[in-house]
Amino acid sequence: MENLYIMKTKSTPEINFDLSTHNHSIRGESYPENTFTFYDPIFQWIENYIETLEQQEVIFTIELIYFNSSSSKVLMDMFDIFDEASKEGKNITVNWIHDEEDEALQEYGEEFKEDLPHLTFIIKSKV
Amino acid sequence: MLKNLNKFKQILDEEGIIFTFCGPMSHDIVVGLGSTLRNKLEEDEVSRAVSAKIFSIFVEQVQNVINYSKVNDSMNDEMSLGIVIIGKKDDKFFISGGNNIANNQIEELQNNLIQLQQMNQEELKQFYKHKRKECSPINSKGAGIGFIEMARKSSEPIEFNFENIDSYKSFFTITIIV
Repeated sequence: MENLYIMKTKSTPEINFDLSTHNHSIRGESYPENTFTFYDPIFQWIENYIETLEQQEVIFTIELIYFNSSSSKVLMDMFDIFDEASKEGKNITVNWIHDEEDEALQEYGEEFKEDLPHLTFIIKSKV
Repeated sequence: MLKNLNKFKQILDEEGIIFTFCGPMSHDIVVGLGSTLRNKLEEDEVSRAVSAKIFSIFVEQVQNVINYSKVNDSMNDEMSLGIVIIGKKDDKFFISGGNNIANNQIEELQNNLIQLQQMNQEELKQFYKHKRKECSPINSKGAGIGFIEMARKSSEPIEFNFENIDSYKSFFTITIIV
């Protein structure tokens, strides 16, 4: 397996998945022209990656300024995969980062968290 | 022409319209106009929360038109044509969108929108979460939750209308108030 890096554009986030640190991030805006095409390789990477995991601590930092409704769907699917893996004993944490003043983004985080019983999902405001 | 344009601009001003686009919708339009819209709202010192809602509704409306025209390939040219209007009236912003729709698809859309009109915020939230968990319908380029997203950001029930053009298509409009 290799690291996954995708540069951000105006409508797609930066993807920075790093196998050496197990610290991964998705940062920026997400309203792609075709959401499922954009996220497909990211899902493939994640599915392969989770197979390789044992007990190491894994962190996914999600810091999105804006995401559209189809990205919200995709994020839910992604968190469901993490939730399932956590249930099976993998050590995954999601850090949901929002701007201190952005209450809507904080609420989005809380709505995801409500549906993820097994995953460690931390909502943090950016300092 | 200049005279007419000026008149057109006056009508827009009278209606409180601050931003409008009419023509073929594309992803470049979403990105380009979206970023102009954000800058304009910032210049006008619109609060960040309101500005984020307006931007989000703008994106959902335009992407709806684009995705709709993509799944209806036979009518692609006509179907990607749309209009989006953002204005301010009595201290509230409105975002209206319009596009052609095939007559045989009106009933389903109408039923979905009536359902959303009748829901309160908590019901909309639960419905949104439920739909988000479901797989997206086949042939849908979007997640099918764009209208719920818009309804959740609206301070009043969504308004919509279908106006018949011919035996084949109608003009669909939707308005969201923030």
